[in-house]
Amino acid sequence: MRRSTKFAAALTAGILSLALTACGGSSDDNGSAKESTGSSGAKSDIKVGLAYDIGGRGDQSFNDMAAAGLDKAKSEFGVKASESEATPDEAESAKEDRLIQLADGGYNPVIAIGFAYSEAVGKVAKQFPDTNFAIVDDTANTDANVTNLVFAEEQGSFLVGAAAALKSKTGDIGFVGGVNVPLINKFEAGYDAGAKAVNPNIKIESAYLTQPPDFTGFNDPGKGKTAAEGQFDGGADVVYHAAGGSGLGVFQAAKAAKGLAIGVDSDQYLTAAPDLQPSILTSMIKHVDVAVYNFIKSFKDGDPLTGTVTFDLKSGGVDYSTSGGQVDDIKSKLDDFKKQIIDGTITVPTTVK
Amino acid sequence: MSSTVEGALEKAATTVRKVRPTWPVVLLALAGVILLLALLRVITGADDVASSGTVRAAIRAALPIGLAGLGGLWAERSGVVNIGLEGMMIMGTFGAGWAGYQWGMWAGVAFALLFGALAGGVHAIATVGFGVDHIVSGVAINVIALGAAQYLAGLAFTGHPGGGPTQSPQVTPMSTFDVPGVADAAHSIAEKNWFFVSDLAGIVNGLTSRLTVLTLIGVLLFVLTWWVLWRTTFGLRVRSVGESPAAAESLGVSVYRYKYIAVIISGALAGLAGAYLVQDSTVYREGQTGGRGYIGLAAMIFGNWRPGGLAAGSGLFGYTDALRLRSGGESVHALLLLLAVLLVVFGLALFRKNRRQALVSAGAAVLLVVLFLVTDEIAGDFTGMTPYLTTLLVLALFSQRLRMPKADGQVYRKGSAG
Repeated sequence: MRRSTKFAAALTAGILSLALTACGGSSDDNGSAKESTGSSGAKSDIKVGLAYDIGGRGDQSFNDMAAAGLDKAKSEFGVKASESEATPDEAESAKEDRLIQLADGGYNPVIAIGFAYSEAVGKVAKQFPDTNFAIVDDTANTDANVTNLVFAEEQGSFLVGAAAALKSKTGDIGFVGGVNVPLINKFEAGYDAGAKAVNPNIKIESAYLTQPPDFTGFNDPGKGKTAAEGQFDGGADVVYHAAGGSGLGVFQAAKAAKGLAIGVDSDQYLTAAPDLQPSILTSMIKHVDVAVYNFIKSFKDGDPLTGTVTFDLKSGGVDYSTSGGQVDDIKSKLDDFKKQIIDGTITVPTTVK
Repeated sequence: MSSTVEGALEKAATTVRKVRPTWPVVLLALAGVILLLALLRVITGADDVASSGTVRAAIRAALPIGLAGLGGLWAERSGVVNIGLEGMMIMGTFGAGWAGYQWGMWAGVAFALLFGALAGGVHAIATVGFGVDHIVSGVAINVIALGAAQYLAGLAFTGHPGGGPTQSPQVTPMSTFDVPGVADAAHSIAEKNWFFVSDLAGIVNGLTSRLTVLTLIGVLLFVLTWWVLWRTTFGLRVRSVGESPAAAESLGVSVYRYKYIAVIISGALAGLAGAYLVQDSTVYREGQTGGRGYIGLAAMIFGNWRPGGLAAGSGLFGYTDALRLRSGGESVHALLLLLAVLLVVFGLALFRKNRRQALVSAGAAVLLVVLFLVTDEIAGDFTGMTPYLTTLLVLALFSQRLRMPKADGQVYRKGSAG
């Protein structure tokens, strides 16, 4: 009996430590391993800390865009960088630890990718008043050393909404959001406004895959497929998704229903499987790379961006994609809308009515 | 001694059988539900409540939950609580994604079964071999599996086209087929928009079209589980170690062996649930399981540790989840009325036996009707809860006498029969 209890204790301890190493492996020990300097360009003393959201480098979306911005800064300015990424369902403290580790290691500026870091940045920025922090997609922090890098998603969404309405034959389009949070509502608001600017009588169906705090809606292609199928069955022929990884299901549903889908964040036509490409009308691109690059550049130039910086159509922070050529025939109309938004003739709402 | 175990099981079975409906009753109830759905469609105009698309989506949502629950059923029938289903399912999704993109979906299924069974094996070694608390071991497995899958995915998928640390390259899904004759006929009747007949045809069409072999296997596993556990000697022994391991051992049943087998099967089934998710979405994706293992476990408990109850629970969950995802507020709004009617029926059936409960359900029904009348649509914030609320409500009302395996969750040491 005793012996087996000992065994059990040892086994449990072993299991737990294994689990911890496995988790830690992907997040915490990247500090020195991934430190790298750009090969070309001027040398620089700047050490950039980059904390990715779930997925990290290689997610073919949001995080990869941030990585692209960092890579550009590396090769142009020769900055050094340390990167680490979040794990799903991790504790709030894990995010704080990640940021503290970067700031403590002398990395300045520290850039956090994604609104999930909102609270962690707020806390850690107070502990390191001499370090510059930046957070993408969040405006909650007002500390002097925190820069909020946000996007006018509603403006880009307006354009793809107009594209959807111009391409729709049934006068019925759909929207699939990953999680019902204000950030994703912004996409829907812009999309609705853009579609209605083309066709005031258009019918717009909308679905959110999960409600916060359940964020699995960004990673569940099965649910994305179900929601989009429902909209296609209900008569829609173009569906826009702002659902991260669940968007794959939306593309599949579009293919099966012989309808069209609109991608998000990056130019998804380029990363989609060849059989899905014909179903992708366009994508609403959010240039996280531009935001990250510009922020590092401003820091390097000795005049860091501060406060809340919005990347919009005007500054090239958001846009629609033309890969695949499906919007070529309506491009002039879309560019017309783009011009009107830039010069202020059209103001795009950020909340759904 | 033999008669003690048999007697105990027999007695347990008869108490359950008393409340267990017979085939005609089940069929009649099903017809009643379809009639209600047809009425609902006509009254509220929510066309999606009995459409073939909804039924198909419901099956897709229900099967992974049901299969995970079936895994839980095997483990718990042998007396081992398996809270590690979620982790085993994660291992299954990784196995299916990893083998699936290289050698096709069937290889993916095989590896999902294998990886799930491996995780099940770890749980069995910990709980049966070393007598670790079942919950502790299960939670540990959930943590390890998540970490292991992340680590392995980073190694296996990075750099492959379409793949990355959080996503596998695309897996070619299985081909689909229609049941010849039935699916087409049902489809054309469903198009006619006849009251009841078309609704029935829509459901039949949903059940018989665009199927994959994996879906069929998943459904058959429910029948197979019932047959093996309740109709074979092997199954009787598995259940006996979950009810009274001491008695079983004194009769010469190798308690450990049966527990090991059952828990490994449990892991394999959870792994298969993961494979089903991968086949459905054609990729492995981190966080894809989204708590389905836990929901499966809950459905199994509410289903009274029986395959039929589990199928009903996961089916209901899948149906309501599909409904709210497909057409959101409108259909869920219509569902309020259906729930109200069901509550009234339930209240009437219970009126003689339990006045208080009957009144409670009648009160709830009135509340739902009022809610239905004063609103036009259910707000998005609430539709997300629909599957959870409905399943909880219906199962809580219908499963009043849950009886779990008597020695479920207890650590058994060999030789304690004395």
